Order: sequence, then structure tokens, then C-alpha cells
Amino acid sequence: MPEVYRSEVIGAPVQRVWALVRDFNALPRWTSFVAASRIEGGMPADRIGCIRHFRLQDGGTIREKLLMLDDAEMACRYSIIDSPMNVENYTAVLRLRSVSRERHCFAEWSATFDCPAAEETALVRQIGDGVFATALAQLRKRFGGNG
Amino acid sequence: MIRVDTSTIIDASVPEVWALIRDFNGHKDWHPAIAESQIEAGRAGDSIGAVRAFTLESGEALREELLALSDHTHSFSYRILTSDVPLLNYTAHVELREVTSSARTFWRWWSSFDTPPGMEAELEQVVREGVYHAGFDAIAKLLAA
Repeated sequence: MPEVYRSEVIGAPVQRVWALVRDFNALPRWTSFVAASRIEGGMPADRIGCIRHFRLQDGGTIREKLLMLDDAEMACRYSIIDSPMNVENYTAVLRLRSVSRERHCFAEWSATFDCPAAEETALVRQIGDGVFATALAQLRKRFGGNG
Repeated sequence: MIRVDTSTIIDASVPEVWALIRDFNGHKDWHPAIAESQIEAGRAGDSIGAVRAFTLESGEALREELLALSDHTHSFSYRILTSDVPLLNYTAHVELREVTSSARTFWRWWSSFDTPPGMEAELEQVVREGVYHAGFDAIAKLLAA
């Protein structure tokens, strides 16, 4: 099962970053590639089991289900329900940790999934660099680019 | 129970930092508070259950047992067995994580312990500043050289 892991240091206190990213419906606010997002069925974005339905700038649509949200650990886990990517059993975890000495934030984003072997290299790169690293770099820039 | 939990970013890769801190007997070579150290009973410094007997520059003697060591998660845990410094029920953990965006290292060092009444603040400061932060600074300096 392929694994993807990307991480970044963000120059702001972890609580400030978590306040933004814990909102499961907030991707359009901090990533450039998500154009619009809504939570299906009018559910609150912090209700476990809710589904975010979002549209990418390139026109693709993705549906993801919130599996876990933990304010103490500052982590969330979700799965992909529908997407243009040829992946199955996809779950991802976004976790923040305090860099206490500098009062900064360490953000980690990882995923595991199944896919056809011939597509694995491209998917690992697309998800790792195209999605996780890109979004984390934008998060870093949003909070001033330090850290 | 007192908890100390501190973390920093080191401007070097995880393998570089891990190579320096992995050896349970190696702290004498990089930590400024450690005067000398040896592993008891001729054991290897990376065998679980190994005990390091060491003395501080300030003269106190301690013995610590290696409880866990993982080259997979770049982490280890240890506890104090006997100590001239009154740290009671002391268990500590070290963990490194890769900062993939910049090939740096997130280093977390945390512990819990008890102290004799009235010594909580003093010993918390000793552990946080004198041990953990001094260790961060020493490794950062070594790897910047």
C-alpha cells in the first residue's frame, strides 16, 4: 500500500493554525486549488461522518468523509469517497504539533491508499507534491512565511 | 506529576541528527551537562534494557535505563533508575520527525516525573532548560559547524 508523507514548519502558534485547518469545509480559504466546498446535508463541519464536497480549480469534484477530529491532538482523519483519482481505500491524516521553543507549528500530512501498480509513482507524486506540499506551502505563506 | 514537553526545529536532516543522538551512551560527546558516561555490564548502547551510568559536570551521578529505541520512528524512551538529583518516577521520550519541505528536523523531547515537595519549579526548569534546551542548542551548534 503506497504511503505519502509531507511536512512543513509554519511560523505561527499551533493553536492559530489549528483554528483554520480544523474546519473541514475551509479548504478554499487556505489552498489555491480548491475553488468551492460545502458540507453535504447541511451538517456541521466538525460532525464526525460529515462529507465535504468540493470543486477543484481544474473542474474535478472530490467528496471526502470526516473520520476523526481531535482538538487535543490537533489532528483529523478523512477518507476519499469519490474523486477523479484512481485510488481506493484512501485515508489521510493532517496533524499539527507545537514547535514550543519557537512558538511555531509543525504540520504533517500523510495518506495511504491502493491503486494500480502502474499508476503508483504518478499518484504518490501528485498527492504528495501537487496536493499536500502545495497546500502546506500555502499555509506557511498565509501565516507569514517564517518558521 | 510534572510534565515537561518541548520541541524545536534543527537545521539538519533527520539522519544527521539521529546519528548523533541515537547512541544511549553518546550523550557525553555532545551534551554540555554530561561529564562522563558508561554502559553497565558491557552491554551495547542500543540494546533495550541497557543502563547508562553517568555523572554531570556539576558532580551528581545518575543511572538511566533504555526502555525503547526505534530506527523506524527515530525515537527512544528511557527512565531514571537512581539519581542524586531528586527526579522521581522520571520517564522521558525523544522523537525526531522529518520536515520534508526543507530537509530539517522536528525534535520533541518530553517527560513526566515527581519531585520532593517544594522543588517542582526548580527541577522543571533544570529539566527543560538545563537538559532539553541545552541539548537542542548543542546539537544545533554541532551540525552548523
